[in-house]
Amino acid sequence: MTTRFPPRRVWLRAIPLWVFVVVAAIIVLPPIFWILSTSLKAEADTVAFPLVWIPDPLSFKSYSGIWNPTNIRFFANSLILAGGSIVLAITVCVPAAYVATRFRSRKLETFMTGILVLSMVPGVVVFIALYSMFVKTSLMNTYPLLIIVYSGMICGQTILFLRSFIENIPVEIEEAAAIDGASRSQILMRIVFPLIRPGLAAIAIFIFVFVWNDYLVSTVLATTEDMKTVQNGIVRYISTGFGNFWGLFSAFVLMAFVPVIAVFVAFQRWFIAGMTSGGVKG
Amino acid sequence: MTSLTLSPLAKARFTHVQREYRRVWVYVIPVTIVFAVVFIGPLAVTIWTALHRTDYFEVKEFAGLTAFVDLFSDEDLLSQVGTTLAFACGALVVALPLGLLSAIVLNNITRFTRLVRSLFLLPWLMSQATAGTIWLWFLNPNYGPATAFARSLGLGSTDTFSNPTSALIAVTLITAWWSYPQAMLLFLGALQTVPVELKDSLKVDGGNAWQGFTNVTLPYLRNSIVSVVVVLLMLYVQMVTIILVTTRGGPLIATETLAVRVFNQTFQDYDLAGASATALLLFAINILLTLVAIRFRRKESL
Repeated sequence: MTTRFPPRRVWLRAIPLWVFVVVAAIIVLPPIFWILSTSLKAEADTVAFPLVWIPDPLSFKSYSGIWNPTNIRFFANSLILAGGSIVLAITVCVPAAYVATRFRSRKLETFMTGILVLSMVPGVVVFIALYSMFVKTSLMNTYPLLIIVYSGMICGQTILFLRSFIENIPVEIEEAAAIDGASRSQILMRIVFPLIRPGLAAIAIFIFVFVWNDYLVSTVLATTEDMKTVQNGIVRYISTGFGNFWGLFSAFVLMAFVPVIAVFVAFQRWFIAGMTSGGVKG
Repeated sequence: MTSLTLSPLAKARFTHVQREYRRVWVYVIPVTIVFAVVFIGPLAVTIWTALHRTDYFEVKEFAGLTAFVDLFSDEDLLSQVGTTLAFACGALVVALPLGLLSAIVLNNITRFTRLVRSLFLLPWLMSQATAGTIWLWFLNPNYGPATAFARSLGLGSTDTFSNPTSALIAVTLITAWWSYPQAMLLFLGALQTVPVELKDSLKVDGGNAWQGFTNVTLPYLRNSIVSVVVVLLMLYVQMVTIILVTTRGGPLIATETLAVRVFNQTFQDYDLAGASATALLLFAINILLTLVAIRFRRKESL
C-alpha cells in the first residue's frame, strides 16, 4: 500500500525546515509588500501617519500615472538593448563555443581561458575607460555601443554554458553529415544550431534578465535621457523626484519587475539552468 | 625506427585537417572583436590613462607613476580598503550561511518546493537598483515602516543612511539580502552530488540529522563552500549599484568601497588618472581572487 502522506515522524522532522521558511519569508517579503502597498494607495495615503499596510481605498492612479513618454522610452530602450544583446551574444558565441568544444587544440584552450579570465574583469574598471574612449565619439549614446558592451559582459558565461550543451551532441551525427559532404559551417548551421535550441533559450533568458536588470552600463554609457533604461528610470524617481513621488516610484518598480517575474514563472527550469551556469557578474 | 612515409590519401587527409585547424580561427574572430572593444581596449586605455596627467577627460602629458603615488599616499585609501573589507566580509558572513541553509531546506522539503524556491529567489530576481531603492523607501526616516516600528518601541525616528556606521551596516545587509540566493543556487547544485547512500547508512547506524550534516554533507560541500566564498567576494568587491543608489558612498566616505571610489573619482572629481589607478588596484584584487578560484576549481575536478 502506498501512503499519500509522509509518515508522522517525517512530518515532525520537517518542522525546523518550515520554521526556516517562515523566517525567510519575514526577511524577504516586507519591503516587497510595502512597495506593493504603496503603489496601490492614493497619493496622500502613501505618506500617512500612522502608516497603513493595507491600502484603503485602493487606488490605481499610480499605475496609470507612470506611462509618460519618458518612462515608455525607458521600457523601449531596455527591450531593444536586451533583444540586441541576445542576438549579438548568441551570434558571436555559438561559433566560438562550437570550435572550443570540437577542436581541443592547446592554442584554442589558452584562447578560451583568456576569454574567461577577461570576462571576470570588474565591470566598473572597463566602464570608466569605455566612457573616456567614447565620450567624444558619435558612438556615445547609441544602441550598438551599449549592445556590444552588454554582449561582451556576458560572452564568457554564454560560451561556458553553450559548451556544455554542444558536448552533449553526439559527434557521430556531425561525422555523418561531413561524410555526406556538409562543410563545417553547414554542420554548424544545420545540425548543431537546431540541436542546441533549448540551450539557446536558456541563455537568451539569462541575457534578457542580465540586460534588463543592469543599472551601471546605461548609467555610464548613456548620458542622454532618451537612451536611459528602466533601471535608470527607477533611480530617477529617487534622485530627481520632487513632491510626493513614492506612489509613482512604487508602481514603476513593480512594472519594471513584471517582465522578469513573467519570464521566471514561465520558464523556471531554463531560467535557473542559465543562472547557475556561472554567474559572477554583478 | 623507420622514417614515416605518408600514403597520398593520408597526406591529403593531413593537409585537409591542417587547413581545417587554420579555419577554426575564423570562428573565434567575432568574439575576439567584441572582447577587444569591451575588455582589451579599455584595459589598455586604463593603464595608459593612469600613467598620464589628466585634465577633466583630456589625457595630457606623461606623468609616470604619479597617479599611483597619489593613490597610495591618499589618507582616504586606507579607510576605503577597510570599508571594502568590512562590506565584503560582512555581506559574506550573512549571505553564506543563509544561502547554505536555504539550499539545505529546499533540498529536504517535500511540498510546495516551487513556491518556497520562488520565495528564496525573490530578492535576487530583482535588479540591484530595485533592491537598493525599495529598502531606501522601507527605511525612510519619515514614512518608512522601519521608523514606525522603531517609534512603537519608544525609539526615535531612525535615519539609517545619515549615520556612517548604520549606513554601512544597512548597505551591507541589503547586499547580503540581494545576493544570498546566488549562494543558494550554487549550493543546490553541489548538494545534488552528496550520495544519498551515505546519509542512509548513517541513519541506519542511528545518527541524527545534525551528525548527518556535519559528517556527511559538510565534508562533501567543502570545496564548493570555498568556490562560493570566492564568487561572492568577487561580487562584493566589484559591487557598485546597490551602494550608488542608496548612499553614493556617503555620508562623507563611510560607504565608499574601492569600486565606488572608482566611480566617484570619475564622475564627481573628474580625476580620470586617479580613477584609472584605483581601477587597476581593484583589478589586481580581482585577479588574486580569480587565481584562488581557478586553483580550487582544479582541485574540485581531481
